Amino acid sequence: MKKALSVLCILALVLCITGAGVAETFDEEALYAAAKKEGEVNIYSYSSRVFKFGKTFEAKYPGVKVNGFDMDSPEIVTKVLAEQSAKNYVADVIFLKDPATVVNELYHKKLVYNYVPSDLVSLIPAMYREPLLVHHASVDALVYNDEKMSAFPIKSLWDLTTEAWKGRTILSDPQKMSEFVEVLATIVQHSDEMAADYKRVFGKEIVLSPGVENAGFEWILRLLNNDVIILGSTNSVSEAVGLSDQANPPVGLTAYSRLRDKEKNPNLKFDVITKVEPVMGVATEVVVAMVKGGAHPNAAKLLIHWMMGDAKGGEGYEPYFVLGNFAVRTDVPPPKGSMSLSELKLWKADADYVWNEGQKVLDFWVTHLK
Amino acid sequence: MPKPAVSMEKRGTTIRFSRVKNYVRQPHIVISLILLVILLIIVILPFAKMIEDSFVWQFADTRLSRNAEPGGLTLFHWKRVFASALTQNILFRPLMNSVSTSLSVSLLAMFIGSFLALLVSRTDLPFKKIIATMAVLPYVIPSYIHALAWLNLFKNSRIGGAAGVFQYLTGITPPDWLSYGYFPIVVTLSIHYFPFTFLLVSAALTSIDSRLEESGEILGATRFHILRRITFPLVLPALLSSFILTFSRVLGTFGTPYFLGTPVRYYTLATQIYSNIINRIPSVGYILAFVLIIISSAVIYINQRMIGKSKSFVTIAGKGFRVTETPLGKLSYPLLCLIILLFIASVILPLVLLVWQTLTLYPNDYSIKHLTLLFWIGEANTVFAEGEAGILLNPAIIRAAWNSIKLALVASVIAGFLGIFVGYAVVKGRNTKLAYAVEQMSFLPYLVPGIAFGALYLALFSHRIGPLPALYGTFALVALVCIAKNLPFTGRAGITSMLQIGSELEEASETLGARWITRFRKIILPLSIQGAISGFILVFITVMRELSLIILLVTPETRTLTTMTFRYQEQGYTQFSSAISVLIIIIVVFGELISRRFGKKNGI
Repeated sequence: MKKALSVLCILALVLCITGAGVAETFDEEALYAAAKKEGEVNIYSYSSRVFKFGKTFEAKYPGVKVNGFDMDSPEIVTKVLAEQSAKNYVADVIFLKDPATVVNELYHKKLVYNYVPSDLVSLIPAMYREPLLVHHASVDALVYNDEKMSAFPIKSLWDLTTEAWKGRTILSDPQKMSEFVEVLATIVQHSDEMAADYKRVFGKEIVLSPGVENAGFEWILRLLNNDVIILGSTNSVSEAVGLSDQANPPVGLTAYSRLRDKEKNPNLKFDVITKVEPVMGVATEVVVAMVKGGAHPNAAKLLIHWMMGDAKGGEGYEPYFVLGNFAVRTDVPPPKGSMSLSELKLWKADADYVWNEGQKVLDFWVTHLK
Repeated sequence: MPKPAVSMEKRGTTIRFSRVKNYVRQPHIVISLILLVILLIIVILPFAKMIEDSFVWQFADTRLSRNAEPGGLTLFHWKRVFASALTQNILFRPLMNSVSTSLSVSLLAMFIGSFLALLVSRTDLPFKKIIATMAVLPYVIPSYIHALAWLNLFKNSRIGGAAGVFQYLTGITPPDWLSYGYFPIVVTLSIHYFPFTFLLVSAALTSIDSRLEESGEILGATRFHILRRITFPLVLPALLSSFILTFSRVLGTFGTPYFLGTPVRYYTLATQIYSNIINRIPSVGYILAFVLIIISSAVIYINQRMIGKSKSFVTIAGKGFRVTETPLGKLSYPLLCLIILLFIASVILPLVLLVWQTLTLYPNDYSIKHLTLLFWIGEANTVFAEGEAGILLNPAIIRAAWNSIKLALVASVIAGFLGIFVGYAVVKGRNTKLAYAVEQMSFLPYLVPGIAFGALYLALFSHRIGPLPALYGTFALVALVCIAKNLPFTGRAGITSMLQIGSELEEASETLGARWITRFRKIILPLSIQGAISGFILVFITVMRELSLIILLVTPETRTLTTMTFRYQEQGYTQFSSAISVLIIIIVVFGELISRRFGKKNGI
């Protein structure tokens, strides 16, 4: 009895300790006090939504000003490299896409470091905590005009290479937008699945063109030869596909979260094609990191904590609590009308693969532009 | 015995010393030497860096090759450009496209610009003062607006979205060649760049004494003959300058060719330079920039050989000066109509489109019922524009506006003065190696595309060089790059106007014992200021609209209006970016009016 009791006690103790470990004290008060002394925080953000969570942060933590600056992800990397070299530290936090570049150009050179608020450690899967904290995942997928077309017009990625879709697929220029290099590289990485799907669709083994390595590259080549139309910005893809009253609207590859454009512009009628073989899209990650030498580290930590939101999504995460963005916190439910990341058939962009092979894929693309 | 030897030696030194002293006493030599030092830092250093980097492995090259050792020497980048599977598509085809568009644009723009200049400064065309002021407006309007206006008119269904006005009205689908690629690029860039020629040629024309032409008339020459044999040779230096300026500028232009060319995969060299630098392969971008430099240099060389730069004429001499207007007679109204049409196409239409865009509630929804002032004076509202306030209430934009104005003023004043000095040094020291070096060096930045030049400044000045501290993050660096990049404008303007000033004016006052400073202030400056002001205006406008040159160099503290428009454009807030463009145009027009008034006050 005594023994049993002591075992129970130990068990309770262990539970207590691990429990405490899980909810390890994130001392918000102390951090806020330190942040107030710093007075402000500078964040370089890939998205203009920085102003939204900046505003709510300032309301929640009076006395700490958020200076949000939005710029392209490659520009953020370039600027941080320059700031580190000039020892003129402006940014405290960076918030951007293309983790492959961030990790290799900044993290491995110890110019930025990882910060995961201690109370979130147990709520975020390890894959999203290391090497840098992932803020959310976003998905690039095919969109179609749901005013003109009643059903999903595309069933397989290979459909885009057929005569029916000649000159009717719109893509953002990967030479300008690195996220589409991630998408193309990921398709090449999964070339076996591409080959299998080819066989499923056409009933025969794929025959690669001379000099082409695998089915992933072959898909890119055939897409290019099928007069794929290349545009300069993700926004114009949603407009090109979704604008009302088109006779023969194209389909396009763009960010899932562009669905929110429909709120800005009621003339847009488009939706994401959620059922495509072998996958409906590619998931890429947006990371947040602390910059070495930044003058406001405590305010920076407090801001990152705020950006990660709470169990319901939260005010800080609210701008990203939309269709097409996927929270990394396991306790945050998907936004209304959205499936969770695991329900969608996706490939996840692999930062190492993108870093090592992405340029090769882009070279292939450029070589075969005709 | 050693005594005389010493004194001999002393005398030798004295002679040598006084020779040096005499040499150095010539003001244009002093100026040339000072300019040389400045140019060494702002032009030669970046250029050397460009050469160096093209042979050195960069960190990001580890993505391209397993053998890359950052810092080590390599021919990899050169092979990649000239002898790889990519060569066809990053070099040859873009090169062909670049050269053909640039040649076409510069010829067309030169024709429009000089014709207009001739009408405005030599005839009794009605409303010519207004026309002269309006003529720079096409250059003030961002060139992507011209491209956008083109698409709104002639877009076909190839790229999806709404059809263009042409198709809407006629029911005919425009062919691809009319909608995208070579043809629209040439037309839109020509109406964007003709003000270059207009400004330079009209400055040259106003300083030509009409009596030169009248004497031809007295001798019985026909009007066409006079134009060909008297006026044309006199404005040739200005025409030549504007050809070179337009050609090289279009070669390096990224925005419009990218916008109108991408849907039909019509890429230019500038596109490739841009994407290589953005993709962190600057070395390849630099090598492609070398190709551009070589092409431009070849064109300049051929031009100079064909025309012979020595064949220039002094037109401002120490004599009377008069400009007579040729009556146009019956032609006057048809010509006016033609000009009005040109302005409708190049100014009114794009401007109306631009202003209208700022008032649309939803992008590209031009219906009257959806007009709003939200993007100008709206309070921060979370439904629209991700909760940003209208631009007139947005502190970030107001700060950026001040930055833009400060930058444009500083850069244009300094570059303007440097330009006069370059003109003086080059013209006075003509046929000397020193003058040649100054002329060539000051023109070099023009041939390097903005994004590459900006990347070089970033790489160079983000750490300390000798006594020079790290400049990254300072206003000075942004100003420096703008001055260097625009020196070719003002230098050309300086040379053109200095060529027309006879040296007897300065010699006369020198004989009368005027010091150099006085001579410069009382003679050179007033006579060359018309050219300098043209240069100043061009630089002011260019810097106000500068984007690719400074985008890598600005920090949040120093960002300008254009860098803000770019962001909004990328994010799909056409309304914000258009509103900021309108703001830029208003500032530029004010700047132009003020500098013209200033020019008048100084007796021009």
